[in-house]
Amino acid sequence: MADSNPPRDDEVGEEEEEEIDETNYKTVKDAVLFAIEVSDSMLKPRPSSDPKKPVEESPATAALKCAYHLMQQRIISNPQDMMGVLLYGTQASKFYDEDEGSRGDLSYPNCYLFTDLDIPSAQEVKDLRALVEDEGKAREILVPAEKPVSMANVLFCANQIFTSKAPNFLSRRLFIVTDNDNPHSEDKALRSAATVRAKDLYDLGVTIELFPISQPDREFDSSKFYDDIIYKTSPNDPEAPAYLQLDSKASTATGDGISLLNTLLSSVNSRSVPRRTHFSNMPLEFGPNLKISVSGYILFRKQAPARNCYVWLGGEKPEIVKGTTTQIADDTARTVEKWEIRKAYKFGGDQVLFTPEEQKELKNFGDPVIRIIGFKPASALPFWANMKHPYFIYPSEEDYVGSTRVFSALHQTLLRQKKLALVWFIPRRAANPVLGAMIAGEEKVDENGVQKYPPGMWILPLPYADDVRQNPETTLNVAPEPLIDQMRVIIQQLQLPKACYEPSKYPNPSLQWHYRILQALALDEDLPEKPEDKTVPKYRQIDKRAGDYVLSWADELEKQYAKVAVEKPAHSTVVKRGARDKGPDNDEESSKPAKRVKVEADNNLEDEVRRHYQKGNLSRLTVNILKDFLTSHGRSGVGKKADLIDRVVQFLES
Amino acid sequence: MADKEATVYIVDLGRSMGQRYHDRSVTDLEWAMQYVWDRITGTVATGRKTAGVGVIGLRTDDTSNELEDDADFAHISVLSEIKQFLMPDIRALSETIQPSNTNKGDAISAIVLAIQMIITHCKKLKYKRRIVLVTNGKGPLNTDSLSEITKKIKEDNIELTIIGPDFDDPEYGVKEEDKDPRKAENEVILRSLVEDCDGAYGTLEQAVAELQIPRIKNVRVTATFKGFLQLGNPEEYDTAVRIPVERYFRTHAAKPPSASQFVLRSDLAASQEQPESSATMAGTQGTQPTDGSSLTNVRNLRAYQVTDEEAPGGKRDVELGDLAKGYEYGRTAVHISETDENITILETYAALELLGFIQSDRYERYMHMSTTNIIIAQRANDKAALALSSFIHALFELECYAVARLVVKENKPPIVVLLAPSIEPDYECLLEAQLPFAEDVRTYRFPPLDKVLTVSGKVVTQHRNLPSEDLMDAMEKYVLSMELTDTDENGDPVDTLPIEDSFSPVLHRTDSAIRFRAIHSDKPIPPPSETLTKFSNPPQDLVEKSQKQLEKLIAISGVKKVPPKAKGRKRTRETEKPLSGLDVDALLHQEKRTKISPNNAIPEFKQTLAQAENIETITEVVKQMSAIIEDQIRHSLGDANYDRVKEGLGTMRDELISYEEPALYNDFLRQLKDKILNEQLGGDRRELWWLIRRSKLGLIDQQQSDQSDVTEEEAKAFMSAK
Repeated sequence: MADSNPPRDDEVGEEEEEEIDETNYKTVKDAVLFAIEVSDSMLKPRPSSDPKKPVEESPATAALKCAYHLMQQRIISNPQDMMGVLLYGTQASKFYDEDEGSRGDLSYPNCYLFTDLDIPSAQEVKDLRALVEDEGKAREILVPAEKPVSMANVLFCANQIFTSKAPNFLSRRLFIVTDNDNPHSEDKALRSAATVRAKDLYDLGVTIELFPISQPDREFDSSKFYDDIIYKTSPNDPEAPAYLQLDSKASTATGDGISLLNTLLSSVNSRSVPRRTHFSNMPLEFGPNLKISVSGYILFRKQAPARNCYVWLGGEKPEIVKGTTTQIADDTARTVEKWEIRKAYKFGGDQVLFTPEEQKELKNFGDPVIRIIGFKPASALPFWANMKHPYFIYPSEEDYVGSTRVFSALHQTLLRQKKLALVWFIPRRAANPVLGAMIAGEEKVDENGVQKYPPGMWILPLPYADDVRQNPETTLNVAPEPLIDQMRVIIQQLQLPKACYEPSKYPNPSLQWHYRILQALALDEDLPEKPEDKTVPKYRQIDKRAGDYVLSWADELEKQYAKVAVEKPAHSTVVKRGARDKGPDNDEESSKPAKRVKVEADNNLEDEVRRHYQKGNLSRLTVNILKDFLTSHGRSGVGKKADLIDRVVQFLES
Repeated sequence: MADKEATVYIVDLGRSMGQRYHDRSVTDLEWAMQYVWDRITGTVATGRKTAGVGVIGLRTDDTSNELEDDADFAHISVLSEIKQFLMPDIRALSETIQPSNTNKGDAISAIVLAIQMIITHCKKLKYKRRIVLVTNGKGPLNTDSLSEITKKIKEDNIELTIIGPDFDDPEYGVKEEDKDPRKAENEVILRSLVEDCDGAYGTLEQAVAELQIPRIKNVRVTATFKGFLQLGNPEEYDTAVRIPVERYFRTHAAKPPSASQFVLRSDLAASQEQPESSATMAGTQGTQPTDGSSLTNVRNLRAYQVTDEEAPGGKRDVELGDLAKGYEYGRTAVHISETDENITILETYAALELLGFIQSDRYERYMHMSTTNIIIAQRANDKAALALSSFIHALFELECYAVARLVVKENKPPIVVLLAPSIEPDYECLLEAQLPFAEDVRTYRFPPLDKVLTVSGKVVTQHRNLPSEDLMDAMEKYVLSMELTDTDENGDPVDTLPIEDSFSPVLHRTDSAIRFRAIHSDKPIPPPSETLTKFSNPPQDLVEKSQKQLEKLIAISGVKKVPPKAKGRKRTRETEKPLSGLDVDALLHQEKRTKISPNNAIPEFKQTLAQAENIETITEVVKQMSAIIEDQIRHSLGDANYDRVKEGLGTMRDELISYEEPALYNDFLRQLKDKILNEQLGGDRRELWWLIRRSKLGLIDQQQSDQSDVTEEEAKAFMSAK
């Protein structure tokens, strides 16, 4: 496939592991079409029960907000995937070239294709946001039709959109958001027609995901209609384990507007990416004659901004450029074919050559497998023994019948015995063998009972002896008990909620900022001033909760250090300036906090630089001092002296 | 940088070295050279100019050295002065390493010569000086000036190693029966010489055996972050703490040597145009050593295009010079001018800032996202060390981990890391691993493993997918029988397969293959050494110990392999039903869809097949589908419909394999190929044919369906033929 990015030569195959499942003719892409019902009850604002946030929210606007949120999110996380928004039950109709103004009959009356299924463009993001925010425009489109819409028609409309816009996609999903659990209660024929159209979608390979919203006075009952529409298994992978627990309480969002929005958001989020296997039906080998099959998934993976690309500015709007690479021989510039290429290694100033067959053989350590080598206590896995993200594995019955029960037995045994399995793991043909620790993970659910981490086994890639670095030499200075005691209190004061790490609370600030800026540029909007960064510590809270304890710890540190310093007179030059002893020699500006807990060896640095700054003769300081000052404030210390001075001035002025 | 090195190898080439002893398959010289070559190529592999190697031949036919006029130095030849060894030196040396026709030549004099070479080369500079003598000890030894030599070696800090075949070594357990008395005497002399110089003396068997243990490259440690561990904001609060710390790698992937791409020089390649010849090329390469001169580099040539609906093919070439940098936002291109280059970069300052603390038992170890690092206090700063130590101990005592935000350099993206205390008797530090951000987590949900939930929400605890008590019992016994942790005599746990013994297989395999090929350009690469594959299978003793438990487990588990062709067979499988179990097929029957409509082709094709009661219906529906696909091709503007065509073909192929009617697909594909290549479907559609090839939509062969009469070779030939 042609790519639009500048070439990157040094990349080795290892990291480009997203390429998976070689067998299929389908394109590994995902298309999501939101189908949001527009009706009086969907448009009726629901009050907020939270007095602090007196915002009203209607199910329809909540659904649109979710769609908008998902659209933004997918631009970041799945830049190649498609999304669309279809409103149904609207007075207005719109489908490609047709609208009410068109001549002849409408193909899909009361269906309004608001955002066509495609990789979203900046304009589409903007339009959707306008629909979410701008009441005026929303009022024109969000008007319910007088008579009920035919569900068969809605489903066939979706069918046509998927067929023409996302042909051959591996994953196509229709997200239906509605509060109507029984659309055709009176009309049996319409109802049958809808189930037939649902089967069409299933056979086309489209998964229907329902986001039901309960009416204020009664629960959404899927057995009335939707159980005939939704299928047990995924159409593309009937063997895949289905997660049947239809988010019991969570999705049938009752209650007020805000909680409705939040539960809907979390429900949409949990299905934002289709489940993709990293490897499927891999043998998990217990011994020479016992194998079961498992599939592997990657549940944690670093998400980075897409690399920059070339754009062509010759047209009306900037256009993305597609690049293709041809390999040519250096001597005559003729095009070379893949089979001609040979690999050689630099050795002793010359090339050492291998044939392609030999090259292959060098990487061949057997077929893909997860082989159990033995078991160890789970505690035998050191914290530091890690190389990269884990692989999640779950049994499949595809190759070996009985895999699930054996896997389950192992899973339960490892949990009960607190053990891990050491495994020899070859993820793909000719992939580097990995030595892994296979551990059992229990199912984790959130407060709504929705699964957060699935039950299954995790393979954590271990380092080889070659990957372990030696600790640098340093002198050991064990803190005495009283100092540790003081620090303990501080730590106890600053526990995170529930004393655990919750990734969802920490969006990646640089990633978000990158796309926030791109969005502003793409939509020609003002650039945002300040990024939202949830990874910045809550300074005020830290000061409030632990401040006093920090000061007494600092006192203790001074005391203990004084003892050490006496024993080691060589370090007596260190200026002592703890939190409590603001000396008369301290000439910091009064606006600056005077007391500061310092552990740095070189406390003169700060004063010296500030003094020179005030006198305007920073240039008298040496480069080293400027550098140290900058790095001590987290600023880059690279560059010429003039640059360093500029940066110091910039810092002290701010 | 590592120290400069000067190593002189003295290789005994005497006639007796050319013989095989004790039923060994190699001569003493060949055996000795395994060791010497390994050492030399190990040095060459570093590519360091400052690692010099010199070689002296002992007991050579001729004499060639700077003291050759002295009779004591007869039959000693300097084969290579000390210098950086390169491939030509290796080739030259391997030609001269041959057993001579003499047994004359004094090893002690050779050592003197080696010392002389080192003195000349190193002068008084800082060098690692080494002399390695490999001899079978059967030659004459002149012991006159041994004490002076010892003194000189110690004075110059030269490391002397003497190794020989069948040298007695009680520690290693080698003792040669019926040893030649002269050799026995020489062994005593050589051993005491080495011991006097604090060198190393050993038997060749051990030295060669140890070559199996891969050497780990020591990498110089450099800090990846020097800054402050901060609690609170020192710019705003006077209760903030800053502890100066440094961060170093704890684990870091050691990369195998990387290969570069080459092709045969164009003048040489011209003679072998056919792709098939790649096999013959490989075949001939074994016999005629190819060197770098017959090769030329491969360069990447990039071409750039933009979509242009008016241009033929819908694309137009653009010049690199006319392009600007930008990003994609969805399908919109965002141009960013060079002056704004950093506009999307989040402004940050370097620091390691604490966010809060968590209980270690509430952390899931699988959340580690990265390699690990260590954090220590700024070196030579006792106060910082004291402060950090109190932090480490407090974490340890409370069984807590710290969560922190790390920016390693100004304007680098922040990461969230987990900090764990590590306290050893002689070392304290924080261990650090990267945690996932919200965007890094993918929520894929899976059913529970210890119970089965039915559609109606019922919980079932007895099910074919759940283990019985017997199975649980057998599994537990099996797990216990495969325990890798042993206990030593003090009852302390000992890891029988520790990380220290696990060597990166690809790295060392490639490394040793390169070195092997460098000396033996004409021999096939030997298989990987046992050390490298040690972790690929359970240890033999464990396999034996657990055999009974495993057999029991196999019997109880009742796991059965699914024969490959039974997979996905449809005729017998019940059709998929919605959650309610409603029989949609019955409804479909009522609808009486007789003709497949092109706009709903795939579902209707599948449904008609599912209801087909005879082969005529199947043939008919395939015919209809074929016509639809051909139509799609005929009316495709450029490649607009190609994905739909692929989907249609793929569906047809899968379904007809399931219905065991491969011939219907194969017949259609043959016709389709003809029509495409004869341009009967709306012009030049060769790109489509290429796509069909790439998508593996070729003929259904016997491997894929028993009913097919197409062999794998035929299928392959069909696809590759133009």
